[in-house]
Amino acid sequence: MIALYGLVLLPLAGAAAAWLAGRASPRAPWSVAIATLVLLAGLLAYVTHAVPAGGGPWLAHVSAPWIPALGITLRCDMDGLGLVLLWLTVALSFPCVLLSSRDIADAPGTFHALLLATIAGVDGVFIATDLFLFFFFWELMLVPLYVLITVWGHEDRTRAAFKFFLFTQGSGLLMLLSILGLVVVHQHQTGVLTFDYFTLATTHLSPPLAMGLMLGFFVAFAVKLPVVPLHVWLPDTHTQAPTAGSVLLAGVLLKTGGYGLIRFVVLLFPDAAVRFAPVALALGALGILYGAWLALMQDDIKRLIAYSSVSHLGFVLLGVFSGSALGMAGAVVQMVAHGLSTGALFVIAGALQDRLHTRDLRRMGGLWPALPHLSATGLVFAIASLGLPGLGNFVGEFLVLLATWRVSPPIAILGAAGLVLSALYALTMIGRAFLGSPPGDGWAALPDFGARHMTVLGAAMALLLALGLYPQPVLDLSLPALPHDAARPIASPPVAPGGPRP
Amino acid sequence: MIAALVATLPDMPMPVLVLAAGILVLLLAIACRGSRPSGAAGGTDDRTDGGTVAGAIISAATIALAFIGLWSPASPPSGGMARLFAADAWFAYGTGLILLSSGGILAMSWRRMAGERADEAHLLLLLGTLGAVVAAGSANAVAFFVGLETLSLSLLGLIAYRPRVPDAAEAAMKYLVLSGTSSAILLFGLALAYAETGDLRFTAPPAANPAEPALAVAATILVLTGLFFKLSAAPFHLWLADVLDGAPTPVSAFVAVVSKIALFVALARYFAMTDLTGTSLPAQDLAVVAVLSMVGGNLLAFGQTNLKRLLAGSSIAHVGYLLVALLSAGPFGAGSAAFYLAAYAAATLGAFAALGAGPDRPDLAAWRGMFHRRPALALALSVMLLSLAGIPPAVGFFAKAYIVAAGVSAHRMLLLAALIVSSIIGLCYYLNVARIMMAPAPDTAPAMAARSGGTTVLLAALALATLLIGLFPGPLVQRTTALFLPAVPATETAARARGPFENMRW
Repeated sequence: MIALYGLVLLPLAGAAAAWLAGRASPRAPWSVAIATLVLLAGLLAYVTHAVPAGGGPWLAHVSAPWIPALGITLRCDMDGLGLVLLWLTVALSFPCVLLSSRDIADAPGTFHALLLATIAGVDGVFIATDLFLFFFFWELMLVPLYVLITVWGHEDRTRAAFKFFLFTQGSGLLMLLSILGLVVVHQHQTGVLTFDYFTLATTHLSPPLAMGLMLGFFVAFAVKLPVVPLHVWLPDTHTQAPTAGSVLLAGVLLKTGGYGLIRFVVLLFPDAAVRFAPVALALGALGILYGAWLALMQDDIKRLIAYSSVSHLGFVLLGVFSGSALGMAGAVVQMVAHGLSTGALFVIAGALQDRLHTRDLRRMGGLWPALPHLSATGLVFAIASLGLPGLGNFVGEFLVLLATWRVSPPIAILGAAGLVLSALYALTMIGRAFLGSPPGDGWAALPDFGARHMTVLGAAMALLLALGLYPQPVLDLSLPALPHDAARPIASPPVAPGGPRP
Repeated sequence: MIAALVATLPDMPMPVLVLAAGILVLLLAIACRGSRPSGAAGGTDDRTDGGTVAGAIISAATIALAFIGLWSPASPPSGGMARLFAADAWFAYGTGLILLSSGGILAMSWRRMAGERADEAHLLLLLGTLGAVVAAGSANAVAFFVGLETLSLSLLGLIAYRPRVPDAAEAAMKYLVLSGTSSAILLFGLALAYAETGDLRFTAPPAANPAEPALAVAATILVLTGLFFKLSAAPFHLWLADVLDGAPTPVSAFVAVVSKIALFVALARYFAMTDLTGTSLPAQDLAVVAVLSMVGGNLLAFGQTNLKRLLAGSSIAHVGYLLVALLSAGPFGAGSAAFYLAAYAAATLGAFAALGAGPDRPDLAAWRGMFHRRPALALALSVMLLSLAGIPPAVGFFAKAYIVAAGVSAHRMLLLAALIVSSIIGLCYYLNVARIMMAPAPDTAPAMAARSGGTTVLLAALALATLLIGLFPGPLVQRTTALFLPAVPATETAARARGPFENMRW
């Protein structure tokens, strides 16, 4: 289905158009960005609709030659997991543009162009099934985001952006080594040079080699997710990014890490992943507790939300490595729910900063009478984030803990303890920001959320509620398709005569 | 005697002939103009400018003709010439890159070379190009040495082209002393090789008596040392930063691009017959130099506040990456080296062109806020730096991935580790430049170089090429994989065809 390319090319074209529009008038890029997103949503709806019924777990496929001499193709495939995350990307792009980037005064054309370029890269990551193409998109989405943070971020932006780029790029190089190692081993076994995901999945790997290659992928995705020892870039980056950047980072970019863990670590190296699972589960539990503990200590509201992300995404790691379909489904639901709730929280934190010119919780308090709408939405999303039953986050966390319990009860108990901490920090945040008494002599008149903000955030709330009350459609879709289920049979390559075997 | 000489001419590679003829025409033109009694020879008024442009046109035509000459259906050199020149596909590729780069440098110095009249600069540029082409194509030690010295001596003139600038004299002096030293070392190595084998072929000498390889190895190491000096691979790199900083910007580009392409092509030819996969002393020497260059070059560039010195460090590091490709014999080794050479040439030339179009001083501080003042220029420099750093969609991304692929398939794990570490260091300073250009512009704008059409066109073309080849590397990859050094003997082909696990060295 050629429309898959459109998912990448359309935002890129929109980026070019937004940049050009920025030269005409300062307000035009925003309209162009909105139009692009509407078109993108339409295209995604078309792709979703055009899926043939009963065609197997891989829903769409497209392929074209790119660098034939090295066996690199422009191959994209989409399965339910990719589809869910693509929808999440589109859904979160709307609040980014609608709520936070309208008032960018400094070079709005470039800002929207970079935002759309990031979205194009993320879309590419979710559909590419040629490993080189995947790596290309993986690296491509970094540059625009780096520029977004460097230019439009807050006070300490350059250092934060730099840290972000260095961590992701450095770990990306490890992934490149693993990709090439896998390709070379496959070429050595079969004589065929290819970067095709489905073909490479059939490679026979000795256990130590599989473990080594898997670790290269794991580190790259663990930096992105983030997994605890590799998370140090995240709080700074999220805190310093402009609001749209924070929403995009927390809502979508972190999910590329979770996606990669499922698609490439677990499905490409199933045996090595099983052997690695105890370590990953321990890291997941550590992340849940450590992130929650640090969130509890923060005075900076964006930093608090950033650390809560570390905690919530620990559940994704648990789910992915629990080794069961249940845990995997829980991880996907958790990713979607976290994207919606944390994205919304970053919108609210950004709105607070715009109004109060501070992110310091010590200088807030008693905002509820002054900003009733904003405070109410803040409360709602904070409660969603702590996992209230009936909302999406609860479903995700519950499924993950259930799956983890079957594998390792102690880890599940530790994860559940993290839930207690998350209730603590979420409610403390609400208490310190919105309740209590205002510092000094009360708040002067502050502009509350208008209809635009309430509509968009209300939509996010509705989605979270739907996910919490009736998660079945997402659960059905989210089971990742296995590589050997490829809709299109892969011709088995001829074996090179006389090649030595490892 | 002369008739016999003329009869051998058609056997020379076409670009060499064209360049030599062009140099003669240009010499003649300069001589004619210099003898005119206009009295304006030393002036800088418009009349002399006309002569400079004529010289530039002659040079451009020569380079263009030489480039076209690459496709001439000349018969492969036979007889005596076959022992002097190896006009193979590798030569054609290297020469093509050299000529394109020289053309780009000519575009940067069309009228003026750093404020001076550019007549003799054009002559020296053509001479240097001729030397580079000869050095890249020679199969004979003497031909190589003649080519190399032609290149070095014309570079000396170019580096010292601004007589009133003390830095230029210092840079030229430094280059002269170190270039002379390295030539002597190189000659010593060639002489030892001759003593061992009794012939002057430009190739790593096999030991006459395999039980006692000391002389052959010593010859190879000495030649390598000489080549490393000229390639400015660490630890023989100390002259590069001073020379690039002291020379006019187009000349810096010439040193960093043309002379490095020529020497790398020659280096690869020197080892075409040698199995570098083993633990022989030359192979270990190359590996150590590769690691030192990658890490050392990037460390040198790290924290530089002078963009030319930063590019010098980056250039040293890129020599290291190229050596990794050279050491990674295997299905991708030669192809990745050739591809990387093109990517490096385009990006480095582009970076120097941007410097030439930018502020007068190469200080990093002068580029602060360039995105706000000259967005197109800042964007062009960013594209070049992205390419050098290996970030998509610039071509450097694929080039680096290709080299890593070569390294993985040849199991050069230590080299790859050094490559990754130094790439991350490299990222820091490339990004730093981009960051400074994105910062708010200061109130007082630094003096900018006069806008020159040639530089603008060159910069636009290179930026476009960097992005387009980065997005569609297929055709160039096709070409570079077909470039395998043809002078590979059967045993060597067998060694290369062996599976990667035969030569496993973790």
